[in-house]
Amino acid sequence: MSKFKKNNKRGIPGVNTSALPDIIFMLLFFFMVATTMKEVDMQVDVKKPVADQAEELKDKDNVDFIYIGFPMDKEMGTEPRIQLDDQLVPDYTVVAAWKQIKTREGKTPMDIVTSLKVHQDVGMRIVSDVKEQLRDIDAVHINYSADAR
Amino acid sequence: MARREISEINAGSMADIAFLLLIFFLVTTTMEVDAGIGRTLPFKRELPPDYVPPDVHDRDVLEIKANSNDQLLVEGRLTSIDDLQEIVIDFYTVNINGEVDKTMPSYEDINSAKCQTQIAFYKAKVAELPEDVFFQEELGKWQTKLKLCEELPTGGYKEIHKMAMIKLENQAGTTYGLYIRIQNILKTVVNDLRKEQCMEIWGKEYFALDENNEEDQDIIKKLRILVPERIIEAKIQK
Repeated sequence: MSKFKKNNKRGIPGVNTSALPDIIFMLLFFFMVATTMKEVDMQVDVKKPVADQAEELKDKDNVDFIYIGFPMDKEMGTEPRIQLDDQLVPDYTVVAAWKQIKTREGKTPMDIVTSLKVHQDVGMRIVSDVKEQLRDIDAVHINYSADAR
Repeated sequence: MARREISEINAGSMADIAFLLLIFFLVTTTMEVDAGIGRTLPFKRELPPDYVPPDVHDRDVLEIKANSNDQLLVEGRLTSIDDLQEIVIDFYTVNINGEVDKTMPSYEDINSAKCQTQIAFYKAKVAELPEDVFFQEELGKWQTKLKLCEELPTGGYKEIHKMAMIKLENQAGTTYGLYIRIQNILKTVVNDLRKEQCMEIWGKEYFALDENNEEDQDIIKKLRILVPERIIEAKIQK
């Protein structure tokens, strides 16, 4: 019987931490995959309106974003401005040309949704002008960006 | 020369490095989902010179005007936005079981026989003008309606007047926030009605329908006919 009782010193063994990096790496990969980097540097302030019927925007590769809001740089004035990609544009007339340039291969402007991210206090004039530009080139699928909650 | 033994790399700080990266990603992550209200604008079409605009009756159009002070005029009456939803629901449903309100759109009985006649008519038109997309669209719509009629136990359904539409009019100073609230209300009403119909006819949850599934796609098509969403937007006056 004494065979089984050789080890009388019952010290608590140290926790084996060699798997710790693996666990951390796993977490790391999760966050790397789940992360969406910001698409652009915002030049305008956009506080989106709230709409409980908003649906998630799918297939983000086939979406163009147009931002309309008040310039963050106070020197640019206080009138609402349009931001395409990383730049503020002088006025709405360039929207159609921009949209056409952004067309992916084998697709027409109609296939690519345009997401309008507009500050909730902006007047409808500028929004209406942009929509008219999009209609001119048959880019009729639009999405009014809004917070779902 | 004695061969030096290659010492093992000390991996003890590996966890620290991984932690550092992890914290970086934790901080920069924005789990924001892009959401919004999807809409399809009407196409700009060249109208043929002999085009006669269809008769639109006052009762078939729900006119919503929003001014620069964010006040609403619905059918000529100053209305609070909280009452808009009720009005839109009425617009869609008040006359569905017989004429109740003469200022709201009427309903029409659709049955298989009617669909057959229309299909024959549009088939002839398509044969005559194969290039015209409009006739093809109409033909497709009536074919869907026929399928719908055959599927229903009553052999037909009631359809809102084909010219029934909602007209939105804004002023230059109307805020986008109000515009989205109106759009949201319109969407709510249509979604609710479609949800109801979907449950009643197919016993399925409308929001669980999958656009990539052929069967569900078919149902969505039919629901669009049962509860159509026709919104026109007037240009902002300069």
